[in-house]
Amino acid sequence: MIFGALDIETVSQLTANGIINGAAYGLLGVGFALILGVTGRFHFAYSITYTLAAYFMFTLWDRVGLPIWPAVLLGILAATVLGVSMEQYVYRPLAVRAGATALLAIFVASLGLTIAGSNLVQLFWGSENQILEGPQQEVINWGDVAFINFDLWSVISAVVLVLILAALMRYTDLGRQIKATRVNPELAEIIGISSHRIYLIVFAIGTFLAGSAAFWYSLKFSIDPAMGLRPVIFAFVVAFLAGTASSPIRVFLTGVAVALLEQYTSIWLSVRWTQTAVFVVLLVYLVVLAFEPRRVILSMFPQLAREKV
Amino acid sequence: MEIWINYLDQVLIFVVFAVSLNLLLGYAGQVSVAHAAFGAIGGYAMGYLVIEHGWNYIPAVLLGALAAMIVGTVVALPALRLSVEFLILLTLAVSLVTIGIFTTFPVLGGTYGLIGIPQAQIFGYELAEPRDWILPLLIAAVIIYLLCRRMGESAYGRVLKGLREDPDATRSLGKNVFAYKVSVFAVTSAMAGLAGGLYSGYLQLATPGVYSFDTSLKIFAIVIFGGIANLMGSVLGAFVVVLTEPILERQPFIDLDARDASLIQLVIYGLLLVVLMMLRPQGLLPEGFSIWRWLKGERRAGTRVEMEAEGWVPDIDPASLVVTPGGSEEAREREWHEAPVVLEVRGLSKRFGGIVAAQELDMDLHRGTITALVGPNGAGKTTVFNLLTGFIRPDAGSVRLNGTELVGKSPEQVARLGLVRSFQDVRIVPRLSCLQNVMLGVQDQTGEHMGKLFYAPRKSDADERRTRERAMEWLQFVGMAEFADVPGAALSFGQSKLVALARVLATEADVLLLDEPASGIDTKWVDTMLDLVEAVKHQGRTVCIVEHNLHVVGRLADHTYFMELGMITAQGTIAELTSSERLAEAYFGTSTRA
Repeated sequence: MIFGALDIETVSQLTANGIINGAAYGLLGVGFALILGVTGRFHFAYSITYTLAAYFMFTLWDRVGLPIWPAVLLGILAATVLGVSMEQYVYRPLAVRAGATALLAIFVASLGLTIAGSNLVQLFWGSENQILEGPQQEVINWGDVAFINFDLWSVISAVVLVLILAALMRYTDLGRQIKATRVNPELAEIIGISSHRIYLIVFAIGTFLAGSAAFWYSLKFSIDPAMGLRPVIFAFVVAFLAGTASSPIRVFLTGVAVALLEQYTSIWLSVRWTQTAVFVVLLVYLVVLAFEPRRVILSMFPQLAREKV
Repeated sequence: MEIWINYLDQVLIFVVFAVSLNLLLGYAGQVSVAHAAFGAIGGYAMGYLVIEHGWNYIPAVLLGALAAMIVGTVVALPALRLSVEFLILLTLAVSLVTIGIFTTFPVLGGTYGLIGIPQAQIFGYELAEPRDWILPLLIAAVIIYLLCRRMGESAYGRVLKGLREDPDATRSLGKNVFAYKVSVFAVTSAMAGLAGGLYSGYLQLATPGVYSFDTSLKIFAIVIFGGIANLMGSVLGAFVVVLTEPILERQPFIDLDARDASLIQLVIYGLLLVVLMMLRPQGLLPEGFSIWRWLKGERRAGTRVEMEAEGWVPDIDPASLVVTPGGSEEAREREWHEAPVVLEVRGLSKRFGGIVAAQELDMDLHRGTITALVGPNGAGKTTVFNLLTGFIRPDAGSVRLNGTELVGKSPEQVARLGLVRSFQDVRIVPRLSCLQNVMLGVQDQTGEHMGKLFYAPRKSDADERRTRERAMEWLQFVGMAEFADVPGAALSFGQSKLVALARVLATEADVLLLDEPASGIDTKWVDTMLDLVEAVKHQGRTVCIVEHNLHVVGRLADHTYFMELGMITAQGTIAELTSSERLAEAYFGTSTRA
């Protein structure tokens, strides 16, 4: 028995926690993987769009005095506009200019946006935690497992968003255009798909997903300037583990798996080790990737195979 | 005043961090955001040894640097084969795991870290005040700067730049990319560990906060800001980045408290990174820029952009092209058969899934002759070059060079044994000058070994001069001497083919595989290019070309293999091959009778 002497209650509670956290990791991973896979931009500033989405809704609700739901929606949309603007006004000009070294230039610029953004947040809103109050919080008990109503809603909304995205990718024209651009932007241009437009759309979708994850996090915990770093780093891990060209559903499930791993390690190891354990898994994965390289990499980044031809 | 001395100490520590990261990031192109984590290893190791085991400061720092070096080497092993995105992710993970592990050990102070490290003593002197630290830190910074400069601006550094921009082309010239990456990771990690030992000794702390991911980003920002592959830029960058905070705090215009000043400092340097990437991606001081030369009024010739002027032809000394005239095609074919076999290929096969790229290939290259490989597009000609030179491993068959089996050897081993190839898409290293590109081709340079740069300095320097002279001779041979200082990226396609030829020749390899040597060059000097290839043959080298242009083949080739769908289906003189109706149809896609 891998769970040893543990009682069934603990295991089911850990499983529930894993699914709840995993829904957030998965949602962020889906957004990041979509952006990296389609545009090739290492969008480190994803974390700052996440954090700012929370602050935007807080400001609209607390300072402007809008009711909670319009404030949330407008906050997420404002963050989405910000994410799209990063592509339009920073990454794209850089990519045009830097050519072959664009990846590093964009990564550095993205780091710059992250550093500037997280400190601007502290200047404007202070470094103390802010509270977003919405609907009444209730505890739900399912058998031995306890969680709050926000947990349930956040999982449901994440699953719904991912399913919508998966359906969009699979059944609509836009989805096919996104996939075509991911495989070969030049070829897609030839048949009339504007990669510029697709990149903007992808940034919009990815940032929207981050914004909705930020909302549930803010409701459950609080809003603080550093809230974006940890979940987004987990999103990077999830996106890379799942492969950036994978379907949204697969990326999402990888997120859940990572969160479950994080929860279960707390059975054997002290809580301090759980985050380390996730990164150790990532390191092992990268080592395997390194020594079985071409097949795995090519299956994940089809655009690399194209360049070698 | 005291406070400024304090900041000067910090600048010097960050110089050590940034200069060593620049060797890794700027010269070798390995994007690492884990530099502070290696610093943490050095700092924590020093603190632990001093507090728990009562070690002296200096040996504790050195052991910390050694520990960082060992971890750096281990990290380098998977890092070697990862693309940039994955390398960033790997170093990000290393950075977080390292700090995560340190915080889980009570003996290392858990989440508080090691506090109260005793004052450092060096040779009996207490380093009690910030001013006591200036001299030792300055010495450390100067030493690290000189070490990195020596490594970066040498044959070793040239190979690093080659692997930064085109690892495959660098391997094709016989450089063991693997060893270079491991050694540069190891040595820069050791330097970061040393910097960590100094930093923790100076602060008397080793905490997760000191070596957080933010610190890695700060070091990274200094390097980018100062200039990639410019060490003086990193020194300057360390001053700018470390000193913005106190300057903001003390400027007389707006009343800022310390907290706002440090936030604004971070906002400024974040935005500066963005603006810098947009306006001046090369950083404050671009690669190859020297303040001393600039002060003396010398401008680097290499930074101007050259275009192939209308009517430009390579400036070749006609004497080097004098060759004994070849006989008729039949006579050349006879000579080919009489010359001894240098490269013997038997039963070479390769499949990619269901596609047969090469099937049971047999071919021979004879000494001092030119053999051509022709065939329609997609016949697998370039794949043959990849199979012969170890870039692709064949499923079966053997390739023997003067009796030595090449199958199973790496591209760099094959090149060192004397079989060197050029690339269809040329693959000149864009940011190295033409001369540096050709110097990269020269084999067995003493200065390519990191160790020998230091324990055999004179020999390395003498060798470097010799390498330069030899490379210059080859550039002259192809008529490109006037472009010696021009970066590869500024050349026209035809010119870069000439440099690529010079680079291949500089390897002194016995057997040269030239992939489409005359395609894409100005028609005015196609014949000059062919003269060059012929002159190479008359130096006694063995040449194999892949070529589409049958005029070129007819002029150069002593013997021709015809390849279609991965198989060699005919061989002989080009006249024999073109007179066959079936082959002409396979080649041109139409029947000549129609």
